[in-house]
Amino acid sequence: MRVGVDIGGTFTDFVAMGEDGRILHTKSSTTPKELTEGILQCFDKAGLHKLAQVKQLLHGSTVAINTIIQGVGAKTALITTKGMRDIYEIGRENRPDSWNLFFHRPRPLVTREWRLEVSERSTPKGDILVPLDESELEGIAGRLEKHGVEAVAVCFLHSYMNPAHERRAGEILHKELPDVFISLSNELVREMGEYERTSTTVLNAYVGPVVSSYLNHLVGHMQRLEFQGVLLIMQSNGGCMSVEVAKQQPIHTTESGPVSGMIGAAHLSQILDLPSAVAFDMGGTTAKTVFVQKGTVPLAPVCYIGGYETGQPMKVPVADIVEIGAGGGSIASVDDLGVLSVGPRSAGADPGPVCYGQGGTEPTVTDANLLLGRLNPQNFLGGEMPLAVEPARDALKRRVADPKGMDVYRAADAILQIVTNNMSLAVRRISVERGIDPRDCVIIAFGGAGPLHAVGVAKELLIPKVIVPPIPGHFSALGMLVADLRHDYVQTYLHELKSADRNAILSYFREFERQARATLVSEGASIDTISSSLRLDLRYQGQDHVLSVPVTFSELENGEYQVFIERYDRTHLDYYGHAASGEIVEVVNLRLVASGRANKERVEVFRPITEQKGRPEVGGRRTYWGPKWGWLDTAIYQRGQLGSGFRCEGPAIVEEWASTTLIFPGDKLMVDPLGNLVVEVG
Amino acid sequence: MGKSTIDPVTLEVLRAAIPAVCDEMAVVLRRAAHNMFIYEIQDFSVAIVDPEGNLIGQNRGAIPFFLADLGPPIQSGIAEIGKDNFFPGDVIIMNHPAVCGQHLNNVIIYQPVFFEGRLVSFTVARGHWMDIGGSKMGLGFSRTLDVYQEGLQFRNLKIYEAGKPNKTLFRMIEDNLRRPDLALGDLRAQIAACRLGERRFLAILEKYGLETVLQAVSLLADQAEERARKGVARIPDGVYEAESFLDSDGVDLDKTIPVKVRVIVEGTSMTIDFSEMGEQVKGPVNSGTGGLLTARSAFKILTSPNDFANEGHFRPLKMILPPGKFISAKPPAALGSWSSGLSTVLDTILKALAPALPHLIPAGHKADQGEFGFYGIDASTNKYWLCGNIRGGGHGGRPHEDGESASVNLLQGDITTAPVEAIEQKYPLFVENYSLIPDSGGPGKFRGGLGTEWLIRPFDVDHVFVNIGGERFGCPPWGLWGGKAGMPNHYLLDLGDGTKPEIVAKRPGQLVPKKGWVALRGGGGGGWGDPLERDIARVLTDVIRGYVSPEKARSEYGVVIDLSKKEVDEAATRALRESMRQACKKWD
Repeated sequence: MRVGVDIGGTFTDFVAMGEDGRILHTKSSTTPKELTEGILQCFDKAGLHKLAQVKQLLHGSTVAINTIIQGVGAKTALITTKGMRDIYEIGRENRPDSWNLFFHRPRPLVTREWRLEVSERSTPKGDILVPLDESELEGIAGRLEKHGVEAVAVCFLHSYMNPAHERRAGEILHKELPDVFISLSNELVREMGEYERTSTTVLNAYVGPVVSSYLNHLVGHMQRLEFQGVLLIMQSNGGCMSVEVAKQQPIHTTESGPVSGMIGAAHLSQILDLPSAVAFDMGGTTAKTVFVQKGTVPLAPVCYIGGYETGQPMKVPVADIVEIGAGGGSIASVDDLGVLSVGPRSAGADPGPVCYGQGGTEPTVTDANLLLGRLNPQNFLGGEMPLAVEPARDALKRRVADPKGMDVYRAADAILQIVTNNMSLAVRRISVERGIDPRDCVIIAFGGAGPLHAVGVAKELLIPKVIVPPIPGHFSALGMLVADLRHDYVQTYLHELKSADRNAILSYFREFERQARATLVSEGASIDTISSSLRLDLRYQGQDHVLSVPVTFSELENGEYQVFIERYDRTHLDYYGHAASGEIVEVVNLRLVASGRANKERVEVFRPITEQKGRPEVGGRRTYWGPKWGWLDTAIYQRGQLGSGFRCEGPAIVEEWASTTLIFPGDKLMVDPLGNLVVEVG
Repeated sequence: MGKSTIDPVTLEVLRAAIPAVCDEMAVVLRRAAHNMFIYEIQDFSVAIVDPEGNLIGQNRGAIPFFLADLGPPIQSGIAEIGKDNFFPGDVIIMNHPAVCGQHLNNVIIYQPVFFEGRLVSFTVARGHWMDIGGSKMGLGFSRTLDVYQEGLQFRNLKIYEAGKPNKTLFRMIEDNLRRPDLALGDLRAQIAACRLGERRFLAILEKYGLETVLQAVSLLADQAEERARKGVARIPDGVYEAESFLDSDGVDLDKTIPVKVRVIVEGTSMTIDFSEMGEQVKGPVNSGTGGLLTARSAFKILTSPNDFANEGHFRPLKMILPPGKFISAKPPAALGSWSSGLSTVLDTILKALAPALPHLIPAGHKADQGEFGFYGIDASTNKYWLCGNIRGGGHGGRPHEDGESASVNLLQGDITTAPVEAIEQKYPLFVENYSLIPDSGGPGKFRGGLGTEWLIRPFDVDHVFVNIGGERFGCPPWGLWGGKAGMPNHYLLDLGDGTKPEIVAKRPGQLVPKKGWVALRGGGGGGWGDPLERDIARVLTDVIRGYVSPEKARSEYGVVIDLSKKEVDEAATRALRESMRQACKKWD
């Protein structure tokens, strides 16, 4: 049996797949004080009292991100090159929230008295200009020990070109401070840009002791339950890693929550052979979306924990997810000028929408859906949580309809149109704005509210098809089951491409490949599943922004630089609508991604379902389908009863335990052989 | 305000969709641009403008202070070319100083947009070209005396006519600019942004129709006006005045330039009166539109910091600005460093309003542009290289907390400084130190933020050149309500010949020999409130962190600290603070 457990802010999600392919799923409330508690509850609910049969457990948690956001990490020190200790506080000096006189830049996690400098210096080429003063460093170590520092980050200038000084500093610190968590910048980031690299290293050190102790604790619990399988930890890049690597590089777990569903969608798009798909995940507070091309989730080179304006930069590969404040709990309000807006404020899980009856008084997207008959008040979470229509109607009337002088149903519809528009702009940013023709696209929708809104988004953007996979409400945990072991490597190598030394480039890539194989094998990957892909970050000379193009070892060995340049011109044309063929192209970074898995054959989570036999039960209710169609009698289906090959036409609604799918008038539904709901948008 | 018939949902959709088009244009421009002023400093703005020259939408983020100012250049283009003489495929280039009022580097590219055969708008992208010819190389201070020394002027010229490139004009650019490769790269990026804006705007028009879109634009402007008026109404009525000064125009080095403002708040409207501002000067710190942009920036900060700017936003703002002031200069005034005094003008407007808005207004901030440019000729390629960068400084203490350290000025927004590693990778320069400057923050109950220092040397070359700027050396960031001034911005030059480093300012083309160095030091913010009222624990923390020296803790804050124990000597502190208060009273 393989198990995926995803600890989110509100729920801990659990999905297990037996040897026979049967899928079990459940949820329990997240238990913030003792996170393992929620996991154990899930095991209990699923009837797993012993874990001997669990071969593999994949796990994602919010431990690292919460440690950063709540500021409860280890007492951390930073050691830098002489003259550079303040860069971590200075940052890039920008004020993105320009007109705010009280703007704050990100607050350093290491205050100035714990930022220490040591004599050493390399040139941009990696030559040593000033040797590392080892006795100075030993003196620093003594001070840190005396003051009970728990973690140390080391970031030297140009260490991405020559890590020797950082490595030597690491040896000395390990020797002098054997119980302290040490993090070296070159082990995490081999890219130019000292502020972002320092911040990443500090973040890793800051969460290191906390994540280590959490993982030790979890492993202890598992062992008591006779777990003998492999525990793997989800990473922000969509892959997973061993507990041992996770303890050294916990920074890679920071954004693992949102990515799991995305890689599930990417995997599904591979199976269905979709060249491009928009993965769309909408929950209670936010909607997240990623553009999946040829089955891969794109990565962003940097992300800001806490948001761009005031967040801590983290320069490790993170799935390039666009997130906006639009979810089922997003609050609708009318301001003093009569402007109606929806979100980003959310009623969250507590108090939640008005219709939950838990004290919420401000109308939300979920309340609007309920009022328009799109949600079933008796069948929410399989009926575990009955929804109250009247309080939702009152709130909508008082807070939106009356101030706008509108009918309450029109107000509810306006809320849904506005939230759909906001989400469409987000989806547009990752697709149409990158030169993608929407007609070649498909939306894969999941999350509790995704299937309810995805068709509206598709209509807005002229995307012809929406696919709702099985168990959309547990899709994140399901996505983990398809995650491979994976490691990303990057090295800054700044050179005009045509005259670049291909042996130097090849030796970096070969070294990465060697490291990757060693790590993957140590993590239990079977050798013939290991594969790697290479990319070069290129730009026209004079540009700052790079675009990444795929290359291969054999192309590099043959020095096919002209091919790379043409590939870059084409990519540039796709992205920006023009290319400057003939201009000098520079290489900036070398990237390698290596992945592997334990089993030679991938265990498939998406399996054929039985064919539709006879007609399923059909319920009915009045549902509002927008100004064009108004209120219509609508067929209501239960997803559990739909077999492959089932077809129907809108207006119709498919309900299941944690989600609801809309089929608008004029749209068609088909259930495919794997049990996906496929909505053809009319 | 006419009653609109537009459906409220459509209005909300367009409220989000129009700026989204402009933001997307900005992304394309920034990513595809070839010089760091555009991609790093984000010195650009993009817009959609209607055929009368009114703003339809503008990008958000980037350098924020180009507030709704792309209309007038387009209006001049319409007047000169004639509405009927625009054709699909036209691309127009414009930087004419009499209209644009900014340095010539800020080149505007725009194109007409046709819908159903009718001219419905223009898409516009302005970006800072690294070099525009003339006597000045790149970023930083120059010593030009008129605009003709500053480079090429383009007055609404078609660089593409109905899709056909104007080869003569291209050749002019190629032969008169120091880095035509970069300029033409930027030009292509600007055209790409305009084309994209055209496509996206047409998609909106196809969906909603021109009338609906224009109606929405006008309604959104009305709403912005109303919101701004509510913001003005929160400021008590009155006449508020303040003054400061700029060091010099860079030519007459011993002559300061007065900055005098008067703000009149009456109900829901505000007048910013610049009548007593300094006159137009010989040196290049003049601007044609600086007064307008600065007044708008101040208005936005004070009334509606969170809204997107549009035409309606500034209707409640009146400005009294006679022509011929240094912020309303007439041709042929030199404009090379057009923005160098503007954040001081803004800072002075804020100071004027401190009595009216004591809970909002911070003490003065470092307020120079902080730009610097190193340059030289690469011996292997014979091409100019230019390393332009921005250095921040401290912002003033606030009514409830300390000022921010190490930040760009109030008008620079999301400008980022370049990483040390990137500078050393690209240019023959060595950064020895990039740090906060202890004791630079003005003492106060809430301390000013700290300034920053870059110490830079030539690396592996015989020499480099640097354009040294500098402003506000004589008028340091002021304190408020008993707080003291911060350390002023200044530059130190060491020629490496054994003589003492000298303080320098406004010196273009300074040679820095192999063994020399330049320290570019950004000032600290002013302090807010009496330093003797600063919480003793905060002073101790400042000393432990090295923001404030133990000596200054004693002399400025009256706090006696035992450094070995990292403790405050409370009895000594009480006595010292008491005696300092007595001394102050006597002085009064």
